Amino acid sequence: MIIGIAISMFALTALAAIIRVVRGPHLADRVIALDVALVALMAAIATHAAETGTTTYLSIVAVVAIVGFTATVALARFIVAEHEDSDIGWPKSVAPVVASVEKEPT
Amino acid sequence: MNPVSQALILAGALLAMLAGVGLLRFSTPYARFHAAGKASPIAFLLVGAGASIELGVAATAQLVVAGVALVITLPAATHLLFRATHRTLAAPHLRQDALAYAESVASEHERQRADAPAADPDAAPRPTANTERPG
Repeated sequence: MIIGIAISMFALTALAAIIRVVRGPHLADRVIALDVALVALMAAIATHAAETGTTTYLSIVAVVAIVGFTATVALARFIVAEHEDSDIGWPKSVAPVVASVEKEPT
Repeated sequence: MNPVSQALILAGALLAMLAGVGLLRFSTPYARFHAAGKASPIAFLLVGAGASIELGVAATAQLVVAGVALVITLPAATHLLFRATHRTLAAPHLRQDALAYAESVASEHERQRADAPAADPDAAPRPTANTERPG
């Protein structure tokens, strides 16, 4: 009973996150909403494992926790690089400094 | 099931739902990041504690790995999103704050240092041109 309520709450959280993914005005809103949906999925898997005692799916939780970080980092860099209209790399505010440092003979 | 683990799982579910409601209802991206980035790892920690009471040692180890990875990485990811938003979003309803002032001063300083050897016309001016100290 309580487990059912908890899993419904995780479903509601994921639903709210998906609504934010669809509506979000800024790209970073969509990224953090995907993160929250991922955390809700992980918590629901852990709850299911606690209820039934099957530990098969818990490796998914560990893998998703480690891998989900990389997408957020890549998208955060993409947001800045896209806004500054440069190629993926140093943002334009930092790029002249990096270029001058790389130009200097060592 | 153990009532302690049921209570922990229910508390985690409530906290996750709070994160979802905050993500849905708050008005600015900064407020949404606060709601989502702080509540969700703690919610997963609560659920993981509740589940590891029920399960064995191997499952607990997996949950601990997941929880540690989440607690380490999610604040860093949220910080990166904050920074990306701060650099790209024009928010006229927010006051020009000390962080924006410091960033503009630092970028001006770096630009002058980069310009010093050869007057580089490509050195882009900072988009936030307002360098007045606030307040």
